[in-house]
Amino acid sequence: MLKMILRRAVELLISLFLIASATFFLLAAIPGDALSAQTNRLPEQARKQVYKNSGLNKPVMTRYVITMDNMVHGKFGESIVTPGQTMTKVLKEKLPASARLGIQQMLFGIPLGLIMGVLAAIYKNHWIDRFVTVLSLLLMSVPSLVIGLLLQSYFGGKLGWFPIIGWPEGNQLWWGGWSYTILPTLAGGIGYIAGYARLLKNSMLDVLGSDYIQTAYAKGLSGRSVILHHIIRNAFIPVTTSLPVSIAFGITGSVFVESIFVIPGVGQFFVQALTNRDVPIVLGETVLLAALYIVTLFITDILYTVIDPRIKLYES
Amino acid sequence: MAESRIQQSEIFHFVSRNQHELLANQQHSQANVSIHRKSGFGKTAISKFLSEPITVIWLIVLILIVGAAIIGPLIIHYDPNHIDAALQNQAPSFAHFFGTDKLGRDLFVRTCTGLQVSLLVAIVSTILSIVFGTVYGVIMAVAGGWVDEVMMRIIEIFNSIPSLLITMILMAVLGNGIVALLFAIAITSWADAARQTRGLVMQLRNLDYVTAAKMLDTPFWRTTTRHFVPNMMSILILDIGQSIPDNIFAEASLSFLGLGLQPPNTSLGILISVGQDQMLQHPYQLYVPIIVLILLVLAFNIVGDGVRDALDPKYQDK
Repeated sequence: MLKMILRRAVELLISLFLIASATFFLLAAIPGDALSAQTNRLPEQARKQVYKNSGLNKPVMTRYVITMDNMVHGKFGESIVTPGQTMTKVLKEKLPASARLGIQQMLFGIPLGLIMGVLAAIYKNHWIDRFVTVLSLLLMSVPSLVIGLLLQSYFGGKLGWFPIIGWPEGNQLWWGGWSYTILPTLAGGIGYIAGYARLLKNSMLDVLGSDYIQTAYAKGLSGRSVILHHIIRNAFIPVTTSLPVSIAFGITGSVFVESIFVIPGVGQFFVQALTNRDVPIVLGETVLLAALYIVTLFITDILYTVIDPRIKLYES
Repeated sequence: MAESRIQQSEIFHFVSRNQHELLANQQHSQANVSIHRKSGFGKTAISKFLSEPITVIWLIVLILIVGAAIIGPLIIHYDPNHIDAALQNQAPSFAHFFGTDKLGRDLFVRTCTGLQVSLLVAIVSTILSIVFGTVYGVIMAVAGGWVDEVMMRIIEIFNSIPSLLITMILMAVLGNGIVALLFAIAITSWADAARQTRGLVMQLRNLDYVTAAKMLDTPFWRTTTRHFVPNMMSILILDIGQSIPDNIFAEASLSFLGLGLQPPNTSLGILISVGQDQMLQHPYQLYVPIIVLILLVLAFNIVGDGVRDALDPKYQDK
């Protein structure tokens, strides 16, 4: 186990190095840079000075070495477009909004989806099953962007029940200001309902068809106890393993919901940094997101072995 | 010596007799397969597909949408970018089926043009990503060893770089045109297909009939086309069914954010973002592109499910 973790840690570092390098050179390949829009009307002398201050006047390879060296020491550097803004500050200011939005969406969507999945599988071919199937198909066919816009125009605009844009700040950052959060939560949470309902329903139907369920019934167990102890336990394996990925992506912000409702989160900031070619910020966010993603995958692999002892990782 | 020779010839005899039997069996089974194919699979699939009324209805809806997108602009000769100050924000009428926007542009023609973009993305990007992903996956599975390891890492890296970043960079390098968008969407969505194909080929590779084919000196391309591809059909169809709605969403969302197609090009995403400005005063400008988008994706989803159920032998028996 320890050996495996060590091996994965080394792999993680190599992957992150490659990801950072790839991102750096891809960003360098785009014509124009963070300063070209601001400085093209400045006199030649002043422009050179601005470039010199930000270090963008050096050749690409030199910048690459400097950036990598800083990154190894844990520094992502200052934003070029808004001086003083660093990755640490960004995470401190922007992450809470994204994280709260993601958590609320998941708390709303995932349990609802799971309940619907269980009901649809137990009452197969009953109207409940058909209702869940149709509903999840419908929800799958509407992107969260569109759901957000529709909610915004109806409940925010026409009925005026909720504010159209904005997000609680200050001491209401984590708790309170609910009226702002309801529409964004619904907009993003609906996606989880369809996904998890379908996932759990399919895996429950798989389990229902297997031999050990017949055995359980043959032993004379009651329907309730078979469902609770045998079917649901086994059917939850794919759910438990896709939860970590949902959580990792959920708390790091959804670009579309954040930009519709003008929520000051990580996703929206990332798009801004990208449009501005703000290399240090884009690099920092990319590397952090990638690290989170890879670590999550690793946790998922471990979860597999814990939940389902039949699966073994890296047999020597 | 003499004894062993006899034995050998006996063995040869045995082998050759067995081979004859095998050949006969093969011919027999091939004949069976061809008969089965003629009268069975295709027909059963089509009749199974047509026996679901809901699927057929949505197939008709899909055909209508595609037809309107292609024929609409040919019949109604408005320029999608023609600005007319006298026709601002008109409600739907006979002259303008879906009304006009705040610059007096005809929304019906603009929606048709946007639909064409969505359909192009649905077809071209999906084909690109599925073909590339499948080839990549087959190579991974067949090559194995360090090649597989390296290619797997590349997938992991691709998956962990935010797809927005890749799309934006490609759009910036290739220009903000439709070709760049098609490639950008394809490039961010091939990894799943590659992974699934790899897993399946790894399974298939160890099956007896593939080993048999290898021992009979079958060239690799033949094993691929005769054994791997037919077995991958159900996974491929599933992938295509999932990719089409995903790609349509990706285009609409990117264009909505201003990261995809740029005006004067038109797409459903751009129409939605223009409609958002007028959401409170003229809500139909927002609802028209949204409803069209939902109908299109719903139709693709339902028809895709129908095709999968019809073609998958697992479902066909039922």
